[in-house]
Parts: sequence; structure tokens; C-alpha cells
Amino acid sequence: MRVLVVEDDALLGDAIQAGLKQAGYAVDWMKDGVAADHALGTEAYAAVVLDLGLPRLSGLEVLQRLRSRNSSIPVLILTARDTVNDRIKGLDAGADDYLLKPFDMGELAARLRALIRRASGKVDLLLQVAGVKLDPAAHRVTCREQPVDLSPKEFAVLHALMLSAGKVLSRAQLEEQLYAWGEEVESNAVEVHIHHLRRKLFPELIETIRGVGYLIAAGKVD
Amino acid sequence: MQGHSLKRRLLVLALSTVVVVWVGASTFIYFDAREEFDEVLDAHLAQDAALLSAQAAHELDELETDHAPLLHKYARRVAFQIWEGGKTLRMHSANATQRHLADIEDGFSDSVIDGQRWRVFSAWDETGQFLIHVAERADVREELARDIAGNLLEPLLFSLPLLALLLWVAVARGLRPLDKLAAELERRDPETLTPLDADAAPREVLPLIERLNRLFARIDSTFQRERRFTADAAHELRTPVAGIKAQAQVARGATGTAERNHALDNAILGCDRAAHLIEQLLTLARVDALDVAGAQSCRLRDIAAGEIAMIAPVALDKGVHIELPEGEEVAVRGNPELLRILTRNLIDNAVRHTPSGTSVRVAVVQQEGLASLSVCDDGAGISEQEMSRVSERFYRPADTQAGGSGLGLSIVRRIAEVHGAAVHFSRADNARGLCVAVTFRF
Repeated sequence: MRVLVVEDDALLGDAIQAGLKQAGYAVDWMKDGVAADHALGTEAYAAVVLDLGLPRLSGLEVLQRLRSRNSSIPVLILTARDTVNDRIKGLDAGADDYLLKPFDMGELAARLRALIRRASGKVDLLLQVAGVKLDPAAHRVTCREQPVDLSPKEFAVLHALMLSAGKVLSRAQLEEQLYAWGEEVESNAVEVHIHHLRRKLFPELIETIRGVGYLIAAGKVD
Repeated sequence: MQGHSLKRRLLVLALSTVVVVWVGASTFIYFDAREEFDEVLDAHLAQDAALLSAQAAHELDELETDHAPLLHKYARRVAFQIWEGGKTLRMHSANATQRHLADIEDGFSDSVIDGQRWRVFSAWDETGQFLIHVAERADVREELARDIAGNLLEPLLFSLPLLALLLWVAVARGLRPLDKLAAELERRDPETLTPLDADAAPREVLPLIERLNRLFARIDSTFQRERRFTADAAHELRTPVAGIKAQAQVARGATGTAERNHALDNAILGCDRAAHLIEQLLTLARVDALDVAGAQSCRLRDIAAGEIAMIAPVALDKGVHIELPEGEEVAVRGNPELLRILTRNLIDNAVRHTPSGTSVRVAVVQQEGLASLSVCDDGAGISEQEMSRVSERFYRPADTQAGGSGLGLSIVRRIAEVHGAAVHFSRADNARGLCVAVTFRF
């Protein structure tokens, strides 16, 4: 899952980026509103963590521009202002959730998971396809009730495919979900991860559509 | 009621005025009446004497020395004597003595007979045969004048309580606007700082209301400033605390030593920044409460040199050189502690924003009655638009990597204000960086 963090405070931004990486996300970090607006216009993110007090373009404006482009990316607002009015303004501008500073990294990760899950239309906390269960919160995968040990990137690929079960994801789309901006993408990385997943789970789970991408067929959903 | 009462004061003043005027008028009337009576009664005496002399010429021949009968209650107080040839008492009133009523033989005189004061008119009749004295007791006149004055004073005595009552009511009614004002102030809770209505107030109370309104406005702006400051401060402290907490949690979740140490270092850095922010907040709060009371002569160059010495080690670590060109000492009047804080913030700000390998130039100059302290850096500078905003509290220009509190220039501006000094922002001479000049008048 690739998320965008927009925070102008160097230390807080650095911590959010590191913390979300630990939670298995690929994280892009922008330090001002204009850069964030630009990134949101060009890249695909699973979710956005948005600080309101930003230089050059306020968080609220970034949010309004995002929504005016008909984007439904879940947005979680970070705010230091705790008046009801500030929260109402944020939610009315199109935010899906908010967290008051200082917050707990675990709670931030959990809320992001909830937002992403809801945005994908899934209600169940566990994703299940053909005997494979994926728990996004606990970062655990079981196959026919047997725990499977996956690397963070393998987990991310499986998570993305299971979230959009029945839809084909291109290699580029998967790479986007896996790597933050500026992070070095290993060549054939996606193929390698798919190969490992097929070996660790079972080969028929992930189908390859040649020249297009990969797919977990919707029919396999339990 | 504490203190003196305005109503009682007005009442006492009004009543005393009435009494003084009334008594004064009565006294005047008393003396005036005395004078008038003297003239009228003297004329009567003279007339009586003329009557007696006319009578004496015709009838006294048949009379022996005798008493005239008492005919009127005032008659006892009127006496007469008729002396033949000025030697033999031929006739006298019952209350007259055997001696001459007056020593003179012509005109008015005052004499004392048996302890009584008499007014006497003496005259010879036309024939020159009889000397006639007509006398009247002087206390009659006084009694009359006193009666008249008394008649004037008596109603005052009776009407004084009634007058006091009416005046009390009138004064109370007259002072009602004051009561209303007091009641309105009484009703207010201490948080209400809206101005009092000056339109309905009488002219005499207007200055009071205006003063109160000015006071309310001042307190209100102080309150608002403090409220905003507290809110801003809480808000500004949340971000560094959030950073420290998040870094600590990242450190706990880290799998490698390098990652953990990086997060821990950042958490410590976050603590330093939060501490700096708190320091600056406290300074600002202190500056807000301070003024230049007890201003003394402060040597700007001395202060600048002292502050440069304090910051120099940090600046050198960063590869920044601080210059203070030689020049003459410039003294301004002010609070030395505040001026040190101002100078420290200017230099600290410049050092934060100038890149490594450049210099910060501090200058103290004096010309045309102005003393100025300026600090220029080689940083990225700020736009014209931002120059008007940088001294706002918590304002940080975009792209700033310096991680300041956003309060430094607010502190500078506040201290300058207190000293009546102006703060100017401009581009540095080399068209890069920022120059901040504080100009003192003296």
C-alpha cells in the first residue's frame, strides 16, 4: 500500500514516514501544500495523511482541490487544533477521518487500514480468498489454517491483489503500491514477489494475464 | 455606604446656602429696619415736642406741676418734661424723672436714666419760655426691629425640615443617572467588556464613561491577546510533542540498530526544539508583561558583542561566521535585559537561516539622531509579501528548514515596540539573504 504523508514539521514527518514503513506501507512524504497537490495529481495513493497547517497551500485547500478532481482517496487529517469547529471544517472539506496531535503511531496505522478497507468496499476485517486469509492489522497470512511467513513486500503484493480481487493489476500499479517515490525499484521485483507468493501459498492462486498484469479471480473468493 | 455620600453632601450644601442667605437677608432687614425706625420715630419725637410746645403755650398756665396720665401700653416707654425757663419742672409724664431727660437743650440726644437708654428730643417753645424734652426708650426700637427680623426667621425654622425633605428627593432624582450607571456596572459579570452606552448619559458623567470604556477596551484586547496566545501556544506545542512521541514509537518498533538510533536521535532533537519553543514562549510572555520602567543607558555595541560571543560556538559548528565591524559605541535608553533578548533573537535567527560557509553581519551605527542595530544573513531571504508577515506570532516562511519557533521576530518586534523603536526588513546588500534593522530614536 502506498500512502502520501503531508507534514511540514521535519521531525514529525520523518517519524510518520518511518512508522508507516514499519506498518508495511510505502510512504511518500511532502513538506508543503503545493508539492502535495502535485503528487496527488500524478500518483496513485491508497490513502493520504494530511497536516492542516502547511506552508504555501493549506491542508484544507489541498483537500478541496483533491475532491474537486473527483478523487475518492481516503484522507486522514492531522490537526493540532482541537476545537469542534476545526474538525467540522476538515470533515466538511472532504476528510474521512482526523487525528489530534500528538497521536499514537499504532492508532494512525489502524485508522489508515480502516480507511483503506472501507474505500475498497470490504467490511470484513480479514481478507479471504480460496482458503488464504490475510489480516492487514496483524500482518498475518494463513493458508488452509497454516501460518505463512511472508516478507513485507510479498505481503503488500498479496494485500493489493486480494483487495482488488477480480480485477487485474498491472505490474506498474503493483510497483506503485510497493515503492515510495525515489525508492529504487528492483527490476523484475514484482515477478519475483509473485513467484515467491505462488511457492509459499499455492500456484493457482495468482493468475498471470500476459502483457496486462496479475489477478486473483473473484470466483475464488470464499 | 463607604466614603462620603454625594447626596448628603449636596443636601448639606444646599441647606447651608439657604440658611446663610436667609439669615443674611434677615440681618440686613434688621439693620435696615432699625435705621428706618430711627428716622420715623425721631420724626415722631420732634412732632410730639412741637405739639407739646404748642399746647404748653396755651394751657400750661392753668396747670400745676403734674403728671400726665398713661394712655397706651407703649406710653410707659414714652416720657416728656416741660421745664419753665429751663429751671422749673412744670409738667412731666408719670414715668419721667425729676431731673432733665437730656443735657442739651436743642435737638436729639441719647441718655441713660436709671439704667435705661432713652432717645430724647429737646427744644424750646416758640416763646422761649418752656424747655421741652420728649423721650422714648431706645429698646422699643430694637424690639420692633427684632420682631420684624424674627418674623422673617421663624418660617425658616419651620420650613427647614420640609425643605430638607424636598431637597433630598430632588437630589436623589437628579443623581438617578449615576445610580443607573452604578446599577449597570453592578449587573455586569467580569467577563463583559462591551462599552457602556454614552448616549443616554448626562454630560457630567461622560468623561467617567469614556474613561471606563477605554479601560474596558484595553482589558478586552489584553484578554483576547492572552487567549489567542494560549491557544496558539498549545497548538504550537502539539506538533513537536507529536513528533517526539512518533519518533519514540518508531524507535520501539525498529528492527535494526541504525533505524532505532536514528529515531532516538530525532526524538532527542525534538525535545531540544520543544524546549526552545517553550523558552521562546516564556520570553514572549515575559516581554508582554514588561515595559521600559527603570530605563537606563544601554550600549548597543557592548550588548551585540556579548550576544555574539554566546552564539559564536554554535555558529562555528554550523560553519557560520559572525562579523561585527569596528565602530563607535552607541548608547540608547532602554531595558538592558530586553535589548539583550532582542539582539540574541536577531542573531540566532540569522544564524539559523544562513547556509554553512557564509557569514552573518551585525552592525551598530548612529546617524541623524537615530541609532540602529542591524543583522544581515546570506540565507535564502524572504519575499516582499512575507516581510510583512514574518513578525507575526508562529509565522514560519515556506521552505524553511531551520526549525525555529516562529516566535523570534515576534519577540524582536514586541521589544522594539516597548522601546519605541522601528523594525525594518530588507534584502541584504548582496541581494541575497535578509537584513533586519531595529532603529531607535533618542
